[in-house]
Amino acid sequence: MTVHDLPVATRQTFSVVGKSVKRSDTLEKVTGSAVYAGDIILPGMLHGKIKRCEIAHARIKAIDTSKALALKGVKAVLTHENVPRVLHYGSPHPRSASVTRDQYILDDRVRYWGEGVAAVAAVSEEIAEEALGLIEVEYEPLPAVFTVEDALKPGAPALHDNGLDENNVLPPVIVERGDIEQGFAEADLVLEGEYELGRPTAAYMEPNICVTQWDGNGKLTIWSSTQTAFMVRGALAEVLGVPLNKVRVVVDHMGGGFGAKQDLFQHEFLAALLARETARPVRMEFSRKETFFGGRSRHPGKIWLKQGFTRDGRITARQARVVFNSGAYGSHSPGVTNVGTAAMTSLYRCDNVHLEGRAIYTNTPIAGAFRGYGVVQTYYAIDLQVDEAAEKLGFDPAEFKLKNAVREGDIAPSNHPIVGHGLEDCIRRGMAESDWHTARKAPKGDGVKRRGWGIGCEMHGSSAYPGIKEQGNAIVKMNEDGTVTLLTGTAGLGTGAHTALSQIVAEELGVPFEDIAVVQGDTDVVPWDIGAFASHTTYMGGRAAQIAAADVRRQVLAHAAPMLDAAPEDLTIVDGLIMRTDGSNRSIPLGEAVAPQRGMPAIQLVGVGTYTPTKSYSFGAHFVEVEVDTETGEVAVLQVIPVHEIGKIIHPVAAAGQIEGGIQQGIGHTLSEDYVIDLTNGRSLNPSFVDYKMPLSMDMPPIRTIILETAPDPGGPWGAKGVGEDPIIAIGPAIANAIHDAIGVRFRHYPITPENVLDALRAKSKEA
Amino acid sequence: MRRFDYYQPKSLEEASALMADLGSEASIIAGGTDLLVEIKEELRKPRHVVDIKKIPGLRDYSYDAETGLRFGALVTARDLEIWAPVIEHYPNLRTAVAALGSIQVRNRATVVGNVCRASPSADTIPPLIADGASLSVYNRGDERQIPIEDLFTGPGRTVLVPGDIVTGISVPPSRPQSGRAYIKHGRRKAMELATVGVAVSLERDGDTCTEIRIALGAVAPTPIRARNAEALLRGRAIDPAAFTAIADAAMAESTPISNVRASAAYRRDMVGVLTRRAIGQAMGGV
Repeated sequence: MTVHDLPVATRQTFSVVGKSVKRSDTLEKVTGSAVYAGDIILPGMLHGKIKRCEIAHARIKAIDTSKALALKGVKAVLTHENVPRVLHYGSPHPRSASVTRDQYILDDRVRYWGEGVAAVAAVSEEIAEEALGLIEVEYEPLPAVFTVEDALKPGAPALHDNGLDENNVLPPVIVERGDIEQGFAEADLVLEGEYELGRPTAAYMEPNICVTQWDGNGKLTIWSSTQTAFMVRGALAEVLGVPLNKVRVVVDHMGGGFGAKQDLFQHEFLAALLARETARPVRMEFSRKETFFGGRSRHPGKIWLKQGFTRDGRITARQARVVFNSGAYGSHSPGVTNVGTAAMTSLYRCDNVHLEGRAIYTNTPIAGAFRGYGVVQTYYAIDLQVDEAAEKLGFDPAEFKLKNAVREGDIAPSNHPIVGHGLEDCIRRGMAESDWHTARKAPKGDGVKRRGWGIGCEMHGSSAYPGIKEQGNAIVKMNEDGTVTLLTGTAGLGTGAHTALSQIVAEELGVPFEDIAVVQGDTDVVPWDIGAFASHTTYMGGRAAQIAAADVRRQVLAHAAPMLDAAPEDLTIVDGLIMRTDGSNRSIPLGEAVAPQRGMPAIQLVGVGTYTPTKSYSFGAHFVEVEVDTETGEVAVLQVIPVHEIGKIIHPVAAAGQIEGGIQQGIGHTLSEDYVIDLTNGRSLNPSFVDYKMPLSMDMPPIRTIILETAPDPGGPWGAKGVGEDPIIAIGPAIANAIHDAIGVRFRHYPITPENVLDALRAKSKEA
Repeated sequence: MRRFDYYQPKSLEEASALMADLGSEASIIAGGTDLLVEIKEELRKPRHVVDIKKIPGLRDYSYDAETGLRFGALVTARDLEIWAPVIEHYPNLRTAVAALGSIQVRNRATVVGNVCRASPSADTIPPLIADGASLSVYNRGDERQIPIEDLFTGPGRTVLVPGDIVTGISVPPSRPQSGRAYIKHGRRKAMELATVGVAVSLERDGDTCTEIRIALGAVAPTPIRARNAEALLRGRAIDPAAFTAIADAAMAESTPISNVRASAAYRRDMVGVLTRRAIGQAMGGV
């Protein structure tokens, strides 16, 4: 069954949805019995390791693996000379136009420091590691470029031969609305600025890992820590030249991904090939260092932004040039560039826009998908500049943002009219909660430490539609005792998504939450799903589960109707009891109604749901207080009031957890996290947690989370929208704007380090 | 993880003889919070690891108003962090041990291990130098004392020789009218290495500063004393207006490097700010 634009059921009371039920994975996680890919131990299993280059750009002249192969315990060594040479994409979204076929499993050329050049399978990790040291690689160095500026220069070395000049990953993305010349002509104030973006990485707890095994019939099973099991299946099948039914991807629990685990990584191909070559299972796990080398970061780069404003506080024109640094391969650059650039059409209303987005190859580690997907970067620029305009025009920044906030019916970045807009609600509520006007007028302090308040805003689509033609799928089966099994392809990367989906099924069927079991994470069993990204799971997978559950409900009521001498439409199910709605008190327990009768087979109750989305946006405004130590330059975030409008809330604690976790990541990205590349040779300077610093619990300020349900989406389950992407977007500009309020300095980059603050304060006092 | 041979001596004599035999390719393990990580990361590749945890008598710690604080080689950072005499009499050392790693790390990491690792950024070293602490060293029957200040010869390098086993650390008692402070500058509050660490211990007689020691961490190849800065205050009247000149002197004595944690210029700036603040804090404790 495929359903488009199903009307939202108008339900006023809920029994399971909206309640913070005990997560269905709590017990297995606290007892340590939850199975992650790294827990898979198979008889005869070998250990794989990747040899990584220590040069940013080179041609491989020769690889000598003889010494490694001679080491006792080594079972196979792969190099570019003995793996299939298939050009493939890293971002596995075959349904979208946004893929770049620019990678080989192993190439005769390396394009960034840390890229894999060979792989070993051995009987132990130690022997595999030792074998890596015995592989001799002779490189012919090639000229390398590390910044977008250098990569764009005439005569810069080309990283790929994709038919585009200047190392462009894709043709420039141009988004145009209205007439910017007219818009700038109408402006009383024009602001222009260049915004520089650092290189934060997802730093998920569970390093990338997979275990591969081929059976006697030539079928590959891969246990992998991935957000996109079906995408991994598709890419592996294509590159290995086997049909989809010969690749099975299994992922039960995951230790986080934050978007970065929706790529195809070298180790997944290599582990599959090593297992095939040795006819033994192979386990391959990244070290923490390799999660930096071989993982994916957020796109660094630069944004030039110019906007026109009128004295009465309207935005008349917006022009931007976004240049993302893609690193050595395209990965998600097409998607990130499209989404990040198009996002600049909205948030704060402006009829005249001209936006250009580009992504450029450089000899640096690969930038990929990461929570906030291009929008973190572009809204940082917009929000900072709009804040600046408010100050210059004499408006309070929150009032100014409220005045310009996107409204109902405005054309969204996706080119759909906005249905259900919540930004104004978020700003108003945050102003009230923070006692904004009083807070902003409070003395900043005249001693060493100064305080200030800032506001940042965001909006983000639920699901990647229409960039990717998404769908949500689910199968719901009712067992002959009335309990229920949900089969879903959505991934469980640690967010509690399957709890939310179970709540939706329980609510729709009228059964207790505990009666729902979830089967997930096995591409041979569950219906297709695009993966856990783009705030997709609850919105798309949840709606599909609701549709499938509704189908089962219809079948159950039709089956039970004769038992209660009523028409199906005169029946309902409440807490596992099928009841007549006429007040007659006649009812039958669900388990009894569907139980097999003597001499009869059990009734088969299976519902299938498919949902293709409309376009939905969630909204948020963050209010932040900071304290700046003017002698050390340290910025302490004292408190955060995040207000998010996400439609119907399925599980309040899980939703708040997403928001608070996003804020923690966002504080890190804004103030400290930066994966630094040595611009003289492309070497990573901090590929470890010793020098890549995320805020920990001790660093976290109080967060007063407020979630609004004021603008439900007509498509999501009971109006639910996404929340995963949103919280990391608004916190950055809120902090930067609060720093300005505290010390009068406007930064146009992140991370804003203590050293930057000190330098800026000195420059300011010199000026004065 | 690379293979190594593991030894578990039962006495100091045995451990010392073993270390002397094994030579430079042997490492002592106590808490192991640093050594094991470095072996895994292949930053150190010892062929032999000698575990001293089975040696009796190294877990004791005591405080006496006459003789001061003494703790053995197996006393953990957490032992001292939560022990009342340290909290009361050595707020500088207390701040340092409480800033080391996380609680989980501190439950295993030994203070002697933190000192012997000889990292320029080690938290416990500046307060111990400022307090004039010394190490007790055993080597095949001989015992000697080494002032902590004289221990270091470079990053990760000390004057210790094969066969040396550091058995404990002694810190002189706190006197009346004395004050101590340690300030760590890092990028976050826990699980962090010091970008700069400044310890100040001082004594006064009325308005006169009779003795002061300033120790700086992470701004030179080893933790250092800022002797020129000290000289500006020792034997003189305490005048907050002079603190800036003292801070400037400390900055001039530091020779920091630039790396991904901070630039040399920023580190030097922080030496100034933190020296001034630490003197103020130590005065406050008098």
